[in-house]
Amino acid sequence: MRTLMSDGQRRTLVDLLRAAFPHRTFPLGPYERTAGAVADAAAADPRLHALLLQGLSDLDEQRDVAFSQLDGETAGVVLRELTGTPFLTAVLDVAIVALYDDHEVWDVLGYEGASYDKGGYVDRGFDDLDWLPDPRIESQEAPA
Amino acid sequence: MTRFDHDDSDVVVVVGSGAGGGTLANELCRRGFKTVVLEAGPHLTGADYHNDEWKAFDQMAWTDPRTATGSWGIARDFPTLPAWIVKAVGGTSTHWAGACPRFKAHELTARSTYGDLDGANLLDWPITLSELEPYYDRAEIKMGVSHRHGRPPLPANNNYKVFANGAEKVGYRDYATGPYATNAEPYDGRPATVQDGFNFQGDKHGSKWSTLVAELPKAEATGLLDLRPESHVVQILHDSTGRATGVLYVDRDGSLRRQRAAVVCVAGNSIESARLLLLSASAGFPDGLANSSGQVGRNYMRHTTATVWGQFDKPVRMYRGETMAGVIADESRLDTDRGFVGGYYMETIALGPAFFAKFVAPGSWGPSLTEIVDGYLNTAGMWIVGEDMPQETNRVTLSGGTVDAHGLPVANVHFDDHANDVAMRSHAQRQGAAVYNAVGATRVVETPPYPSTHNLGTCRMSRRPGDGVVDRFGRAHDVPNLFVSDGSVFTTGAAANPTLTIVALAIRQAEYIATEYRTGSS
Repeated sequence: MRTLMSDGQRRTLVDLLRAAFPHRTFPLGPYERTAGAVADAAAADPRLHALLLQGLSDLDEQRDVAFSQLDGETAGVVLRELTGTPFLTAVLDVAIVALYDDHEVWDVLGYEGASYDKGGYVDRGFDDLDWLPDPRIESQEAPA
Repeated sequence: MTRFDHDDSDVVVVVGSGAGGGTLANELCRRGFKTVVLEAGPHLTGADYHNDEWKAFDQMAWTDPRTATGSWGIARDFPTLPAWIVKAVGGTSTHWAGACPRFKAHELTARSTYGDLDGANLLDWPITLSELEPYYDRAEIKMGVSHRHGRPPLPANNNYKVFANGAEKVGYRDYATGPYATNAEPYDGRPATVQDGFNFQGDKHGSKWSTLVAELPKAEATGLLDLRPESHVVQILHDSTGRATGVLYVDRDGSLRRQRAAVVCVAGNSIESARLLLLSASAGFPDGLANSSGQVGRNYMRHTTATVWGQFDKPVRMYRGETMAGVIADESRLDTDRGFVGGYYMETIALGPAFFAKFVAPGSWGPSLTEIVDGYLNTAGMWIVGEDMPQETNRVTLSGGTVDAHGLPVANVHFDDHANDVAMRSHAQRQGAAVYNAVGATRVVETPPYPSTHNLGTCRMSRRPGDGVVDRFGRAHDVPNLFVSDGSVFTTGAAANPTLTIVALAIRQAEYIATEYRTGSS
């Protein structure tokens, strides 16, 4: 399903997400896909849809220039001012799940995802940490 | 596949197929009892499970509505998800990690040991440790618990290496990779772990003990198990003499069915078991079935928990390998000089980025969140699990307005931390930070409790009928052929992860039911 968001509002949503979850190492793709997830959720939820349309419009009224024109620091301040509003809360609730479930994000963070079809990690480094000595694995206390 | 008639009044009905219900069913089948297990959730198996946190959560978790009230953070951060338990065959034994400490002797006499704590509704268990020990042995052998009865330990994974080195440096001695109910080598027809790191997500490999892979298949092999998934029990029925006569349940087609029974055993996990008794109110039991004490739903416990993360300047990759194969037991000792009663364990834990970002600092966003998440690769994690205080006002009740898909009032879970819980959590977070700082952490992050996975105490055991809901064998004080067979019966919570004790009590209860019903004394 489609939303009533304009292309410009869609870009504003991406910029909102970049300001809310500022990772220097993340490429644009995960933020764009997360905006897509927010749009999909809104398309299936009239309340969220309404919050999103009005909220993105309001966002551009917070300073003399549109939200997308703000530097990163000011964008962060603007969002802080919206903390706890139904609009921002609803967007972040969807976004935090979608963004960190994105496999490109996993790659950037160093997470390898599903492993069972590769035989798990038993032969692929479950114990490859080498910057500490190998500890004992049995207690020195007698079992209870 | 065995099917017993709905009007067969000789069967034992077990409500729920998790650690308590699934174990009880197997033990009853082995003793020749016709057993009907009614499981609210679907029959998922290893092939169905996902190596993916959110997909697995959506597939396995009990996401029927519930509500939460009280001053605990859960009511604010996760108001519709007070507990994180499983709705599927095998119950939460498919999600548990495997940590298997036993209770200590003093934890079964909490009232006598800790005294009269303001606001706490402490009571001694009507069982002693020496009575439980033979059943602990049988449970550990059944479950293939590592470090016990000749079962080898799990090897050290990356998360454990950080945890154990830190433990050693702060002077702890009682640390190990177990006891842990996942196979380090093949055992009981199940394979050794492949260390895939998706233990919480059902364990596709079947190396972890669960009733899904261990108890229920054995029960099925006896020909005496009638396992009915997607069968949601809505009422326990009784006759004019106050004996249970069977249950009503909604089957997978949405039809209401009646299953008659000689004995009814409730094992729906502590929230749903109490809810079912409350829903089963009648003219003869106006406050809920088996609730003449008024204690059904009360004394709800969820362990004092927290998570401590250490971040380092080198990779850890905590997600590789067995999730909770690491335990520090030093702080589980009896030592009231720490400013609180009871003890706690520290246990390794790992999350993927999806859950890490969602749960590490609930409600947080902006740089305060992203700086933590950026350190994911170099993060080690430990979970704190300690004894919390039973309080009469911490309770499961029927929610006024919220109903489930069947129109039944859902459970409301009310919880306030006791001052003792707060003091213990604060101590544990300090000690957890010390463990990671001892091996060079550049940042330590404290995460508040997750939605409850350990739900205990809502139908507690008591010697006197006025003090609790069930007797020392889990039989309802008020209803002679009604049993409670899960963690609801815990009189107090102890520090230990509850599954081993639930299994031990289920074995003991099956033995009791077999004795009682063979001799015809009830």
